[in-house]
This record gives sequence, C-alpha cells and structure tokens, in this order.
Amino acid sequence: MTTLIEAPPTDADGLLPSKKKSSGGGLGQYILIRFLLIFPTILILVTMVFFLMRITGDPITAALGGRLPPEQLAERITAAGYDRPILVQYFEYLGQLLTGNFGTTLSDNRQVTEMLTTYGSATLELTINALLVALLVGIPLGMIAAHRRDKAPDAVLRIFAILCYATPVFFSGLLFKLTFSVWLGWLPVAGRAKTSSELQLTSLQAPTGIYWLDAVRSGNMAALGDVMAHAVLPALALGLLTAGIFLRLVRTNVIGTLGKDYVEAGRSRGVSEFRLVTKHAYKPALIPIITVMGLQIAVLLGGAVLTETTFEWKGLGFQLATYLTARDFVAVQGIVVLLAVIVAVTNFIVDIVAALIDPRVRY
Amino acid sequence: MAMNKKALHSAIALAGVSAFALTACTGPSGGGGTSTGGAGGGTITYGTTDKVVTLDPAGSYDAGSFMVMNQIYPFLLNAKPGTADATPDIAESAEFTSPTEYTVKLKSDLKFANGHALTSSDVKFSIDRVVKIADDNGPASLLGNLESVTAKDDSTVVFKLKAGNDQVFPGVLAANAGPIVDEEVFPADKLMSDDEIVKGKPFAGPYTIESYKKNELVSLKVNPDYKGLLGKPANDGASIKYYADSNNLKLDVQQGNIDVAGRSLTATDAADLEKDSKVTVHKGPGGELRYIVFNFDTMPFGAKTAEADPAKALAVRQAMANVVDRDAIATQVYKGTYLPAYSVVPDGFVGAIQPLKEMYGDGSGKPSLDKAKKAFSEAGVTAPVNIKLQYNPDHYGKSSGDEYAMIKEQLEKSGLFKVDLQSTEWVTYSKDRTKDVYPVYQLGWFPDYSDADNYLTPFFVPGNFLKNHYENPSVTDLITKQLTTVDKAEREKVLGEAQTSVAKDLSTLPLLQGAQLMVAGKDVKGVEKTLDASFKTRLGVISK
Repeated sequence: MTTLIEAPPTDADGLLPSKKKSSGGGLGQYILIRFLLIFPTILILVTMVFFLMRITGDPITAALGGRLPPEQLAERITAAGYDRPILVQYFEYLGQLLTGNFGTTLSDNRQVTEMLTTYGSATLELTINALLVALLVGIPLGMIAAHRRDKAPDAVLRIFAILCYATPVFFSGLLFKLTFSVWLGWLPVAGRAKTSSELQLTSLQAPTGIYWLDAVRSGNMAALGDVMAHAVLPALALGLLTAGIFLRLVRTNVIGTLGKDYVEAGRSRGVSEFRLVTKHAYKPALIPIITVMGLQIAVLLGGAVLTETTFEWKGLGFQLATYLTARDFVAVQGIVVLLAVIVAVTNFIVDIVAALIDPRVRY
Repeated sequence: MAMNKKALHSAIALAGVSAFALTACTGPSGGGGTSTGGAGGGTITYGTTDKVVTLDPAGSYDAGSFMVMNQIYPFLLNAKPGTADATPDIAESAEFTSPTEYTVKLKSDLKFANGHALTSSDVKFSIDRVVKIADDNGPASLLGNLESVTAKDDSTVVFKLKAGNDQVFPGVLAANAGPIVDEEVFPADKLMSDDEIVKGKPFAGPYTIESYKKNELVSLKVNPDYKGLLGKPANDGASIKYYADSNNLKLDVQQGNIDVAGRSLTATDAADLEKDSKVTVHKGPGGELRYIVFNFDTMPFGAKTAEADPAKALAVRQAMANVVDRDAIATQVYKGTYLPAYSVVPDGFVGAIQPLKEMYGDGSGKPSLDKAKKAFSEAGVTAPVNIKLQYNPDHYGKSSGDEYAMIKEQLEKSGLFKVDLQSTEWVTYSKDRTKDVYPVYQLGWFPDYSDADNYLTPFFVPGNFLKNHYENPSVTDLITKQLTTVDKAEREKVLGEAQTSVAKDLSTLPLLQGAQLMVAGKDVKGVEKTLDASFKTRLGVISK
C-alpha cells in the first residue's frame, strides 16, 4: 500500500505556504488571560502612581509646603483629608476610581473625570496621527533600507533613523514650526483647528472630540482639511520619534527574512529582489512591529506632553504640564492614571492583533 | 491567514487614505479663523493669553474675567468707546438725588437672554450679592462706600452711600462690581460655576455666550435685546481664543488666524510686529501698573512671624525700594514699552505725583545702596535678609520671568538680601496670594475706571483687594477725603497727600507703568476705539 503524502499548497512564487485557515486553537484562552492581566497591571500602575505622588508628602504640602504658615497648611490638609493614614487614603482612592471618581483638581476646582474626557480625545487624536506618521514613514523606509542594504540609501536612512529618535520632540517641533509656519507660512502655528472649524465641530450633536472624525461624521470637508493641516506638524514632530525605531526594526527584520532559505530559493528561481522584499519579506517583518507598537504608545503619550505644549494642542499632555506648574497633584494623578490605563488597554489590543496575525504567540 | 492578510491590507489602506488626507491639506494656513459661519461672515476673533478665573462677577477681579464680563453682562453705567466717563448704559438716568443717595432709573422692557425680565430687583440682587459673598478674589472692596441698595419700583434703584458726594461711585458701577446678573439664575450667597452660568443664559450685554470652553475658546453671539449705551456690535459675532504662549498668539495674528491679539504680547513681540506690514500695532493710554506687594503678616519681620518687628519690616521694604533699579528693568526687559513708576498712581492721571523718586534711591530715580544700608542699620536689621519672592509667569506676560530675575539680581547684588524666587500659575496664584501664602509677591493692575482713586481705594483701605493686612487710619482718612471732595484742586491736593503717605508705609512697591497694546490685521477696523482710558476691551467696536 502506497502512502500518499500530499505536498503543502504554495503561493504563486512557490515559496510560502498558501492561505490556510487558522485553527484558532488557544485564541479564546489567550484573549481571556490577556484581558484578566489588564486589571492587576492597572492596579500596580495606580498603586505606584499613588504612592510615588505621596513620596514628597500630601498634595497640599507638596504644593504649598514652606510657603503657607504651618497652621493654615494643617487646616487645609485636614479639610482635604490628607491627614488620615496613607492606607486609608489609598483604599478610599481605589474605591473612588471604581466609581469613576478621580476627585477634584486643587487649582481650578474641576472634576478630574470631566477634565479627562474633555482633553483625552485631543490626545488620542494626536497619538493616532503620530502613529500613522510613524508607520507611513518607518515601514516603507525600513524596507527600502533593507532592499538597498549597505548602499548609500541605506546609510542615509540609518542616519535619518538615528536623528529621528535622538532628536528631542520639543526641538524638532520648534524647528518644524519655524520652517513650515514662520518662514514658509505653509502650515498653522499652533492649536487643533481654526476658530471657525473648532466652533463648528464642537457645536455638533454628541461630538467625539476627535476633530477629524467629527469632521468626517458631519461631512464638513472644509473643517476636515483645516483640522488635518493643523495636525501635520504635531504629528510629524511626535511621529518621527517612533518612525526612527520602526525604520530600524523593519530594516533588521527584512534583512533577516531575506536571508531565509525560502527567499534564497525564490532568488534562485529568478523572483525579482523587489518582489521578494515587498511580497515575501515584509509580512514576517511586520509582526514585531505590531508588538513594539504597543510599547511605542507609551512613548507617544509621553512625547505628547512636550508636543502638545509646543503646539498648544490642548490635550491631556498640555493640561498635565499646566497642572504640574500649578503643583496640582490630584489632577496630575488623574491624568497619569488615565494614561496608564490607555497604555495597558492598548497593549492588550496589540497582543490580540499579534495573536491573530501570528498564532505562535498564543498560549 | 486570510483574516490576517485582510487586516493588514485594511490597515495599509487606512494609512494610505490618511496619508492622502494629511498631504492634501497642507496648504497655506493664513486667512483664517474669522468666518465662523455667521450670516454676514463678519465675525471677529480676539486672541489673548489672559485667563478667566470665573464668569461670576462676585468671584473675580482680574482682567481676563472682566474682559468677558464686559461683553455679556449689562452695566447700569458704562464708558462710551473713546471716552472714560461713566454714563448711563442700561440706565435711563443716573444721578445724586442727595449727597448720600445715588438714584438710577432703568430703561424699559429690559430682559436677559433666557427671557427673564431685568428689573431693579436684579440690580439690587447683583450688588448685594457681591457684598454678601465678599469673595477673596471678588470686587467687594470696590463697594466699601455702599450702605444699602433699595429697589423703589421695577425701574428705580437707590444706592445709599456711607460718605456723601462719592465722586467715583458712578465709575464703580461701571467697573468690576457693576455687572447686573439674573436673580433667577445665580445663587445669592455663593459663587456659580462657569458651566452653570453659560447654561442659565443670564446675559443681557451686547453679546451672549454661544459656546464656552474655559480658557480655550469662547464664542459670542450678538444679543438683539441689548438696549444699552454700546449699541449694536459692528460685527456679526465674536470669538475669544486663549493662548498659553504669547509667541503663538503673535504668530497667529501675523498669519491672520486671529483678527486681534490683545494681552499679553511681550515688548520684543510688539517691537517686532511694528515692522510687519501685515499687521498694525495699536497703542492706547496706559494705566497698567506693575508692583510688588508686601504681606504685612508674613514678610520678613512681619506681624505673624517669629521675629515680628514692624520697624525692621519697614526697613526691609525701604531697603528694597532703595535698591531696585526701575530704569534697568524698563529698558533691558521691556525695551522701553514700560516706564519706571514712582508712585502707586501712574504718572499722567489727574492728581498723580512721584513721591518715591525723592524718598528712595538717589533722589532722581536711580538706586542707592548707601540709603538701603542706612535703613538696615537704623532699624538694626542684619544682612542678608531672606526674601521669598513670588511671581506669576502667565498672567502678566512672559517677561515677568526676566523682570523678576533682574529684581532678584539687583537685590542680591546689594548684599542685603538673599532671594528665593518662585513662580506659580495664575489660577492658583490668584487664590493663594490672598491666603497669606506669599510673603512678597508680584501683582499688576489694569484700572477699572480712569481715576487716581482706582489706584488707592482697592489697595490701601481696610479690607482691600490685596488682603495684605496693611492698615493706616490716616491713609484711610485721606482716601475717604479725596473720594468726597467736590472741589477739583482740593481733591488733587488730597490725592497727593495720600500717595505720599502710602509711599512712606510702602505697603506696595511700584515698579513700572505701561501702555495698552493690541495688534490687528490690516483689514480690521475699530481697534483704536476700545483703547481708551476706560481700559475696557469692547469687542463690539471691532469689525472687518
């Protein structure tokens, strides 16, 4: 009896296994575990933020210590409840967080939750824009660098990558502003939109606060153009920071993939180098990018503080800088906790996407 | 794998579309932010680095809040653009019906934007409320001469005054204590949040608030029911855009993204903008005074410090007055856009004299280290004295940092002081300064009405706006006397005496006086009409 061994189906170039339905084995369990891990992650972050903020004492003392007469300082501390044991305050704070109550800011008596929802969308918009820049610049240039390995374009792109992630975002931001806004007059100086667009977008029914999305939803193309024009420089300043990392990562991974046996086999069959890079090497090279993207969200959010301040992009980063100046630890704590939650949730999403693309990462 | 590939392709497609959108929208940005969708397109945008502390008239006494209040609330009396005299606004008439009674008759059929009728009862409520709440940051001190308010009938209000013939009371009604609010919306005994105010629409000024994002963007709509002195605005609506950085404010007016840049451009910005052909720099009479406040309780040797000694505390203030070099600050930091101030009343006001010029320094306005040392030795003060000096980096313009760095340098160079220089953001600063948080600190003053008294009563009578625990009965008497002196020459003499007495006590140390400055696009008209000695920004006179 002859045993028939069926050859695996291949793609057009006969290099890679063709589309094969994933069994999906372990995916549900993977998602569940990753989801459950979010909670201890956030708890650890919240705990760290809470206690780190208390290293210099209670928020009132941190803000006014040494400047307020001792009796008045004590009065304020008692009124705010900061004289109670730290653990009592911690558990009370956790209880408040569970009910969505982040407290009231010390400097302007605003509900922190209201402040977070008002400005969170602006930061989200900036982060999305920056991520797009990072992907659009980093991935193609990384592939070009790999394709032209050790040649002049590769050298130039590698230097460009180093410059991208070595240049402080406030410096590149000011440089862009000076060049494209002040000297050339091509792009707006600051803000998220012209006054007219801002008024139109904020007067919409149930706006998301993400201006380009609101402009698209309302079919307001003029506002969309304006919003995008305002987004270019902040997105470039922040996005290039990550683009440099993506460029290097893609280059390295593509070069690694190009040395694989199946690619060598393709070469020997006469498949063009361009086709090998764009069709066969890019996909395996992108998987680590997706994982790194999750980590880069934290970098982008951190960079948003400087970018928002440079461009008067009134998001959480801008507010964080303002509240830090006012030494308003309640507001700062609220913003930092929210940013931590965003990073944790983003990492969860990225993990899921990575698992969908590459089943090997599942449990 | 099908799903994977699809997801990747979708992501690439989305990125492509976004890239297209990003690159497609990179045209010139100028020409901008003024067509806000108004019917005639004649809306204007005003940019500022000032901040709103609160829209509640009982809780603020600052330029940023008052600027908005001037657009949305009605006043019994107001200053007609181009003038500084308080004349009836929503009042039909306003006059002294006896030395201690000031009677105001309202125009008929006045109403708020929410439809509620505006009557004398609202007027009584508004004024009583300011006095009752007496917020630390509120204008209650302006109403120090008010005994009571009576609503005689729906359109008649009688203000009973403690001292008769109060020459500045009409000006007070046109100032920070004067906005009339809706008694059906505002609580009588506590401040109201901005969002609640906007929601309640208690507006009856030239504009109403259409949308409000605190310290970001305020959109104003013309109020068709306003029947006051200022008349119908020359524009179809206005927006106020708030900036954190005056560089961005400057660049936005240069690019045409806003029509007018108001406060607070730096002196360097102003000098630079004067060379720009796309904009016009408008200058108006300057009433701004920049000064240092001493908290008599917490300053070195202050009443509530461990080493309390009034004579030594005075010597500290005198030494500072002797050492500070105003000329250097005015020329080096402010490029001549500010002038040295040698009195608590800026030079040029009727009754203003310059007592500090002779009393401190070398007698000509320059510093004198010898006189500073003498003040210390006579009072037995051992140098160096530690001073905690506070300034604000965002309310009085970016140059505040340079100004106070120079003051610190001047004080420390004398060898008499060691300065701990600190800065705090305005919203916190404005609250903390009245709570004895800062022993010695920066303030600036933009007058509410054009009279020397506006530089005296708010600062040097008991319960004043500074809350710095300074009291001097003879100064109080002089200030009260000038308030009620009808003869002009006699009043000027008393004003001079009051300034001299205050200069001796040095409750505050005047440093600089400045000009009003606005920068507008070439197509913007009417800016000069609001740059008058009333020091009120009236957006209604600006148009394109």
